[in-house]
Amino acid sequence: MRAYVEFAIKKFQNKMTYRLEFFMGILDTIISLIVYLCIYNALYGNEASVDGITLSMVATNFVISLGLSNAFHFDEFFLEKRVNEGSICNEFLKPVNFVFRMFSENAGEGLFKVIFNFIPAVIFAIFYTELCKPSGLLNVLLMLLSVVLGYIILWLISFIVQTWTFWFLSVWGIITIKNVFVNILSGSMIPIWFMPSALRRIIAFTPFESIYFTPVRIYLGELSGMDILKGMGIQILWILILMLIANLFWKKGVKKLVIQGG
Amino acid sequence: MLLKKYMKERDKNMENMIEVRNLKKCYKIPVRSKGMAATIKNLFHRKYDIKKAVDDISFSIKRGEVVGFIGPNGAGKSTTIKMLSGILYPDGGKVKSNGLVPFKQRKQYVKDIGVVFGQKSQLNWDLPLIESFELMRYIYKIPKEKYEANLEKFIKLLDMEEFINRPVRQLSLGQKMRGDIVAALLHSPKIVFFDEPTIGLDVVAKEKIREFVKYMNEKEETTIIFTTHDMQDIEKVCDRLIIIDSGKKVYDGSISEIKNIYANCKSIEVLYEDGRKEIKTFNVNETPMNVVMENLFAKSGIKDISIIEPEIDGIIRDIYEGRIKLPALEGCV
Repeated sequence: MRAYVEFAIKKFQNKMTYRLEFFMGILDTIISLIVYLCIYNALYGNEASVDGITLSMVATNFVISLGLSNAFHFDEFFLEKRVNEGSICNEFLKPVNFVFRMFSENAGEGLFKVIFNFIPAVIFAIFYTELCKPSGLLNVLLMLLSVVLGYIILWLISFIVQTWTFWFLSVWGIITIKNVFVNILSGSMIPIWFMPSALRRIIAFTPFESIYFTPVRIYLGELSGMDILKGMGIQILWILILMLIANLFWKKGVKKLVIQGG
Repeated sequence: MLLKKYMKERDKNMENMIEVRNLKKCYKIPVRSKGMAATIKNLFHRKYDIKKAVDDISFSIKRGEVVGFIGPNGAGKSTTIKMLSGILYPDGGKVKSNGLVPFKQRKQYVKDIGVVFGQKSQLNWDLPLIESFELMRYIYKIPKEKYEANLEKFIKLLDMEEFINRPVRQLSLGQKMRGDIVAALLHSPKIVFFDEPTIGLDVVAKEKIREFVKYMNEKEETTIIFTTHDMQDIEKVCDRLIIIDSGKKVYDGSISEIKNIYANCKSIEVLYEDGRKEIKTFNVNETPMNVVMENLFAKSGIKDISIIEPEIDGIIRDIYEGRIKLPALEGCV
């Protein structure tokens, strides 16, 4: 266990070494927030609310989902690079579980960016625009828990796609397509409230809604009481399903692995 | 009789650290034809060639031995090392190492081995060297005292005080290599695989690494398998030599033995008056020197001749190029 914590810490330290990237990361989140908020400002015009959704709810949705999606962006070519360079053999020569190691590194990076990109962006947004107040302290705590679950779902989806490296050797195209799906269907580009109802019904059957939208709804109080538990239950269910799929691909892939070069 | 031989063999194997029997590994290589049309066709339908990377290799290595593993590029050295270290599934044959089957009990097995790949660093690029070592401590769950004692010893032996706190990306190749070796040995593994550890290094760095490998073997009784293209490495470090070529074992024995076998093989370099050079290799047992000389002197325009005593480098080159045929290997199962 200690080794995995160390992996996360080392990645955290790694991130610290690139100062330009560090400042640019903050700027990146803030700029994209401003852009989206301006668009929705214009779209709302003088309307107080659209379909019962106020502008400040939209702003809150963006701060959480867009801010987190920037913070949760990690190196999705982690596996591809190692398989193609052949350095994956170094990984298999360690008495550690490679998948957990990969997760801890990515999580270390995610934590770094949440602290140094997301939180500054939130502070900026508080002064820049009107945000919804949380519906209670308990909701904030539950949201944080739900964010962690959302991160695991996001990570598992990426991991499954990454394991296809074993068959295709290059997964750039698939990852790009996957990211388009994730960005649109998770509501980090268009709030899920505004999706056509047919599409919304479909999204409800995908893991995408569980990534950012469930935490957003918990924060806003759209989900309360039993609904929160239900939302998190669905998140956990998705985690279990995705873990099953990931495990299948991983096991098959490793068997297929031919270490390149050398 | 057979049973007796088997029993004897089995007893002998008890002290073996590594035991390899009829190891095989094939690679499927897609056949690519030239031309646009063929490339497009390849997208949908691929043909494969089967390449036997390791073809029926057997050997055993005793505890505390240092074995040099050599062969031309693509002979199957790295593939064998990968199978021995548990990261590649063999297609056939048996491997038993440190009492375990590497690719089946990988997690258990890798705790007690160390692997150094000369071409693949395992150090953390952005952080000081010492941070990578710290990480090893947690990965292998090395007790603090042991970690500190080992680290101090290795740093001294490999002369690393100067750059231990420098980020890895600022290190020279030789420094990085030393870092990689320490990272692989901090947990005092019982078996260490070195895959071309001296590649691209200068003479001083090479010498340092050789001394260190020797030290580890003599003082810590580590079993070491060493692949290299540098014959100096082999001569200075290894007791025993295994040569493989095209996936097959062609020699297995001591270095002095191989020299003895080939001491009878002399090469003559003939320099002609027009500046042409020719190297002839012959076996003095088959063709006596005087016959060779007579043949030579019958030719005209010879400016100079010199007899070259077999150097290990030359012998190996001759084996690779097929100029020397090895006698059938005895005692290999």
